[in-house]
Amino acid sequence: MSMKSLIIITDERRVGGMLMAARTLSEQVIAVVVGSPSLAETVATWGFERVLNLEPASGIPAEAYAALLAEVTADIKPRLILASDMPSSRVLLAAVAAKQNAAIIGAVRAITVCGDTIITSRSMADDKVLEDIKTAGVIAGIFIGDDLEKPQTQAVAIEHIEQKNAAHIKLKGIIEPEGNAGLLTAARVVSVGSGIKAKNDIKLIEELAQAAQAEIGCTLPICDDVRWLPTHRVVGSTHNQIAPELYIAIGISGQPQHLAGVRDAKIVVAINNDPEARILKNCNYGIVGDLYKIVPALTAAFKNLV
Amino acid sequence: MKVITVFKWLRNPQDALVKADGSIEWPGVKMSANDDDPAVMEIAAALASGDEIIALTIGDGDLAWAAARGATRTTVITDALTEVNSSVTGAILAAAVKHLGDAEVIIIGDSSWDYGVVSAFIGQLGRPALAGVTAAQLQEGCIQVTRKLGSVSQVLEVNTPLVLAAMATQSEKNEPSMKQVLTARKKPMEKLTLEELGFSSPFTTVSSLKTRFPDTPPAVLIKGDDPVCACEELMAALHTEGVL
Repeated sequence: MSMKSLIIITDERRVGGMLMAARTLSEQVIAVVVGSPSLAETVATWGFERVLNLEPASGIPAEAYAALLAEVTADIKPRLILASDMPSSRVLLAAVAAKQNAAIIGAVRAITVCGDTIITSRSMADDKVLEDIKTAGVIAGIFIGDDLEKPQTQAVAIEHIEQKNAAHIKLKGIIEPEGNAGLLTAARVVSVGSGIKAKNDIKLIEELAQAAQAEIGCTLPICDDVRWLPTHRVVGSTHNQIAPELYIAIGISGQPQHLAGVRDAKIVVAINNDPEARILKNCNYGIVGDLYKIVPALTAAFKNLV
Repeated sequence: MKVITVFKWLRNPQDALVKADGSIEWPGVKMSANDDDPAVMEIAAALASGDEIIALTIGDGDLAWAAARGATRTTVITDALTEVNSSVTGAILAAAVKHLGDAEVIIIGDSSWDYGVVSAFIGQLGRPALAGVTAAQLQEGCIQVTRKLGSVSQVLEVNTPLVLAAMATQSEKNEPSMKQVLTARKKPMEKLTLEELGFSSPFTTVSSLKTRFPDTPPAVLIKGDDPVCACEELMAALHTEGVL
């Protein structure tokens, strides 16, 4: 099929995954970057046919240009519009989709083409199943599918969009989280949930984290309800979304809000004594057993690695 | 400042009954408040400063939910249910907002239950919008909004009219008392149908072909009866995966 796709980009999140999804139906995939020229230059090397860049004025967030973006992309007439689930990307997608009268589909995992039919697969029922959806007109998807490594391609020329008519939204300040820098970039994270019985038992998790050279994370209740660990340790969609090589979830049931925070982890290990726990259906490896016996044994196993 | 809030616009995905063949059913499941709906009401109270808060919902959920949390009155679109096409749900909610008249601020929960509805709602309203909002307050004639973006929070100054998609950073701390719930049931409730709203879907057909289990391989589960053996098996697997 020779249909155009438009991908809205405000950061590098899932750019490769969105490009690959769009490739299934489009020979011409156009990226529109609402962000810095350096982000546009990076995107220009991903393999898009065209890269447009709308650089926000200093102190003006991307959403201020939602209406302008809808106007300047109207002539592209894409069959598919994709954006990541970042808040700013979703607001931009909203304006563009409304202009194109597109059907919006959330939680898109994949796009497939069967003859003349485009099938969008989205997560449903807390990621337990996928729903295959057939759409006749323009599709606007919020993409949460797998990302891909950045390929090495020759950069295309960047087409600049003149910034004007920004809505009145001004950046007044940024609040940096305290102490989570290590968690966000860690290759390994050991995280604890409500399966731990007492505050003193956090020591078990600390010993495992030290042996595994990992950062410590936790679920929201461990911070919010019992206050055993600080806010900056919370892993989840509303706090820290992380992408470690190895994520070890200990005594964590696997609430959707938490799982969304580790969607990009390479390998998820769960330790839980409840064989029906949601986390054991959303991990790569699970040990079904008492964390108070498993964690010390795992700590010893990591120490033996050194 | 007049504020419109949207609540209970979807069924809780955790309530879906997943059958052995991957199909799903919703036996007796009603529209439910999502984790972000309480944050919607908190932000509405902060911005309304005693002025009117109109709550809007669809379908068959508890109408007094928002009234018990500060809404002055509630409107429900009774025959609007969850659609395959999130744009239709978003458009119904947007049409209802327009029916309710001008409000300076409109707030919906930024729920991952279906970001599609949130985006469709924002797009159909066509007003400046921010998502991932964790707090908002009036300050010197403007609204100061705090929103989460990646690992940082941004403080933004915005003018009305405005749409906010609010995100909860903690569970609801002050659930209404029984007395507040009973009092809420006496507040004005308006029931409308899609026909009375004059709504007709502007969107092309979206149809669900089927639901199915993902193709991803199931988790490798190791019995933990012998912790040392279980951990040895796990470590061997992690070696193979290349993450050690």
